[in-house]
Amino acid sequence: MFDEGNGEMGSDTTSRDERMRTGVALGATYEGRDPQLLDRMLPHVEYIEVTLETISEVIGDRIALSDEIMAELKDLRGAAKIVVHGVSLSIGSHDGWSPTYLDLLDQFLEQIDVEWHSEHLGYTKVDGEHLGIMLAMPKSEQALDMLCARVQKMQERYKLPFLVENIVHVLPDAPGAYSDAGFLNALTARTGCGLILDLYNLECDAHNHALDIETFLEELDLGPVRELHLACGVEHDGFLLDVHSRLTRQSTVELARRVAGNASASPEVAVYEFMPEAVPGLGRDAIAGELRRLRRAFRG
Amino acid sequence: MDLAEHQRKLLGLIRDTYMVSPDDDAYIRRVAASRDLQEARRNVFLWRVYVLERTCVLTFRLLRQWGLLSDVLSAFIARHNISPFRETQAPALLKTLCRHPDELISAVARFELALMKVREGDPATYVVFWNVEPHGVLNSLARDLPVDRPVPEGRYAVRISRDVPGLFEIESLEGPRASPQARSAGLA
Repeated sequence: MFDEGNGEMGSDTTSRDERMRTGVALGATYEGRDPQLLDRMLPHVEYIEVTLETISEVIGDRIALSDEIMAELKDLRGAAKIVVHGVSLSIGSHDGWSPTYLDLLDQFLEQIDVEWHSEHLGYTKVDGEHLGIMLAMPKSEQALDMLCARVQKMQERYKLPFLVENIVHVLPDAPGAYSDAGFLNALTARTGCGLILDLYNLECDAHNHALDIETFLEELDLGPVRELHLACGVEHDGFLLDVHSRLTRQSTVELARRVAGNASASPEVAVYEFMPEAVPGLGRDAIAGELRRLRRAFRG
Repeated sequence: MDLAEHQRKLLGLIRDTYMVSPDDDAYIRRVAASRDLQEARRNVFLWRVYVLERTCVLTFRLLRQWGLLSDVLSAFIARHNISPFRETQAPALLKTLCRHPDELISAVARFELALMKVREGDPATYVVFWNVEPHGVLNSLARDLPVDRPVPEGRYAVRISRDVPGLFEIESLEGPRASPQARSAGLA
């Protein structure tokens, strides 16, 4: 079902390439307070991905969205569509998700229209204790039932498309009732939620835990995939790390293009993600150049 | 394994507070013995470094210069329930370091925490007492230059307030009030 290839085009090159180049918009992370970066990004992107945790600030004892950054985002006035991408909802915590995140999301959605919102399929806290990292869910029926109920609550609460993202497996995978793709298929089938397919995360899992990407993609129902994620991190002690600090590898771009070109897939946007901390090292011009390169890859 | 038990044991392993026993599930024993777990702990550390080197610049630089960064951050991670909201992490670390036994580290942390609050609009006035000369220390840290050691001793009060031009001023408690250069450390 899934096209084989090393980024090379097969006999249906023209039609597939045309579809890839015309069907997927480009997006990028923007965390505010860097108008020079935003100016360089906007000519190349149709979507801006906003992470609420990063645009929040501490005011006394509470956490609130930065008025300054919210004003920046409001000033976009249609120059780009906005999607919200959460980090700390902790949708997979056995003891409940983060009310703080939901408060921020409420505040944001009251002020700014978004195309959809999303969260990582994992957990960042246990019994109120923060892990300091995000862990993947065990693929058990118990976990699936809990996640489905919470996804449905999100959909009912916000009346907006809600997407979940495949995350990197930091620890060895727990034995479970489902494969990685099978778990995502069951979740999307039961709830109707969408998917973010992070291609770099797949590459990390392949590198660190021998995930067979071809098998994963053959099994995954690509229909719910609305967003592709592109990023790159660093390798340390033989582990490929999900730190969003580099320009995208060509292998990641090719993987995304192959997914986009699959007949059963119809992703709307490919988002290049980078941490705000990485901007000084990467440079604004290099980021703009990367977006130009990615736009050519997906739009022509 | 029940989801709650699964997650609690992994939390304990990440924080290095859970001791695996032979009765544990094979999966938990496999994680405990894995290189992945060591790398995960290192990732937790690196994420804190990424955030804190940007959000509490002065104290972070002092700790790094004096070779204390790894120990201090490791203890901070182990003993504190660190929120994923980046902006909460610097105040939490600085509050911890206000009680550090090294008086200079404590003074820099108190100063930076107060400056952070005042920059965010806190109307209070904070006074941090130093037993070394603060000008050179703050100037070096602001410019990421080595802090000369030994630091000249002295008794000073640093007042941090939004009513002070430049947000802070340094007063010698042994001589005349500080000159305008006291506010030229490039911090405000």
